[in-house]
Amino acid sequence: MEHTSLAHHLILAGLLFALGLTGVLVRRNLLVVYMCLELMLAAATLALVAFSRFNKTMDGAVLVFFVITVAAAEVAVGLALIVALFRKRGSVQSDALTTLRD
Amino acid sequence: MIPFLANIDPAFKVLAPRTADWLTILPEIAVAALALVCLVQAILLPKPLRWLIPATARTGLVLVIAMAYTTAGPWAPKNDVESFAGLLRQDLPFAGVRLVFLASALLTSLLAARFLRERGAAIADYHHVLLVVTAAFMLLAQSNHFVTFFLALETAAVGLYVLVGYLRRSEASLEAGVKYLVAGGLSSALLLMGIVLVYGALGSVAGITDSLNFTQIGKALSAQVQTPTGISPLTLVGIALILGGVAFKLGAFPFHAWIPDVYQGAPTPTTAFLATASKAAGAFTLLVLVTGPFAALALKLAPVLAIAAVLTLLAGNLGALSATDVKRTLALSGVSHAGFILAAVTVAVIAPEATAYGYTAEQVVVLYLLAYLVGTFLASQALVSLPAAADHLRPHLALRGLLRRSPSLAAALGFGIGSLAGVPPSVGFIAKLLVLALLVKAKLWWVLGVALVCVAISIHYYFCILREAVVRPTEDNVELAPLEISFGARFLIGALAAATILGGLLILN
Repeated sequence: MEHTSLAHHLILAGLLFALGLTGVLVRRNLLVVYMCLELMLAAATLALVAFSRFNKTMDGAVLVFFVITVAAAEVAVGLALIVALFRKRGSVQSDALTTLRD
Repeated sequence: MIPFLANIDPAFKVLAPRTADWLTILPEIAVAALALVCLVQAILLPKPLRWLIPATARTGLVLVIAMAYTTAGPWAPKNDVESFAGLLRQDLPFAGVRLVFLASALLTSLLAARFLRERGAAIADYHHVLLVVTAAFMLLAQSNHFVTFFLALETAAVGLYVLVGYLRRSEASLEAGVKYLVAGGLSSALLLMGIVLVYGALGSVAGITDSLNFTQIGKALSAQVQTPTGISPLTLVGIALILGGVAFKLGAFPFHAWIPDVYQGAPTPTTAFLATASKAAGAFTLLVLVTGPFAALALKLAPVLAIAAVLTLLAGNLGALSATDVKRTLALSGVSHAGFILAAVTVAVIAPEATAYGYTAEQVVVLYLLAYLVGTFLASQALVSLPAAADHLRPHLALRGLLRRSPSLAAALGFGIGSLAGVPPSVGFIAKLLVLALLVKAKLWWVLGVALVCVAISIHYYFCILREAVVRPTEDNVELAPLEISFGARFLIGALAAATILGGLLILN
């Protein structure tokens, strides 16, 4: 017996996605921005699993593993870049990114 | 054998890759193997033999280019042949697609070796990542399934984050890396959400077994267009998100805001690679998507693409007018080139049979990218050889007296910028002419008008750069010491300058 419907999952995924997107656009701390990006990927993953379950196709569930792998690779490179920038500048605020301008 | 596996086995055998499948992507496998060879060499070779690393990579790339051009081999693209049970499909003018990526990687390697040595950065790692990204782009352009599409795109994107932030002692390079990371991460998240929505919304359509496959998505959409309810809003939102993610790669309006900063801060060889290979990847994937799976939506997509083309042209050219840094000017002019490519893609959607001088819209996109590649690398070679206080500070004024200091660098800049601006008879002029002719054939008069105005504007800012190279420095304390240019750089400049002239003639014949 189903306790939740597809719509429930999608609404939750949509809320998480919107939360992540707002965070990326509004927050100034690069680490928080990066966490919000990961939240967006997690929201997409949740929707993927829900669709896979309710459409009864396995492709979506398989894609989830690839998304997790990709997110891990992205974090490895991304955190390395943010740490290197912090060592150089002593701050991870995006307001401090002012070297490049016309 | 377990009975459960015995049931799965025949179905799996149908999908399992065959030898013929592997042969179709032999050039991609060769490039990836070359990337691994670079790493092995970095471990095994003693310091005096390190020059072998870029040499091997370049020789390998030249061989792969020759291989990609052999029409007889099993890897030679045959139209509309799917491999790996529908995961890949080569249906663009695919030899040209491969050439764009391979040539871009080769020229980037030629620019990078000396540039990195001067800054004390590792050369082997750079080549490794460069080759992995190239192989990923080549797979991306032939993806026929959203799993391969997403994986190839992300492999390339993560590699490019590394290449942009490669000079970890330079604040500018790191800042560009972080900005590219956030912008790229955002676009991948939007793209993934788009893929998920399309997968979910089309997964319940009758007769569709795999709603991530481009061919099946195409079928489902063309069936839905005919029904009275039309295409579901969820699918439309998904398609919009996917196209937005691809527009980010291409640098099209309104996803071009990251371009000036990232291009300025990235190491100049990476900038050239981003401008050519990454833009090409965006252009090819957009072309594959709008003419393949989303072809049923042509009526809805065409005006969106045309408006995006016009706004991209205007944003790029008006931005470039006010830029005072050479790398920023070239970055924003690259946005305007993306506008020309978008215009050609629009024609491919509206009038697929339209031809200009015998070339279809798809072929024109490939030719335009090749012409843009030649011009970009000539200008980048001039910038790399020119000493600067920092790689990200290259104001127009720093070019003063270049003609007297080094005629060959001035020639590189002249031929490169001339071709980018579209001065006849350069290859850049022919490429622009082909796009304009396509617009005439498709009767897109307003896009044509904006494109013509933009060509006029672009001539102004391109020639502002060239004027500085010719003008004598006004301050006496600026040294006019002649610059030492290596033989390799001279050879490269000569070869590319010849390509700007001969390329145009080759296209017209």
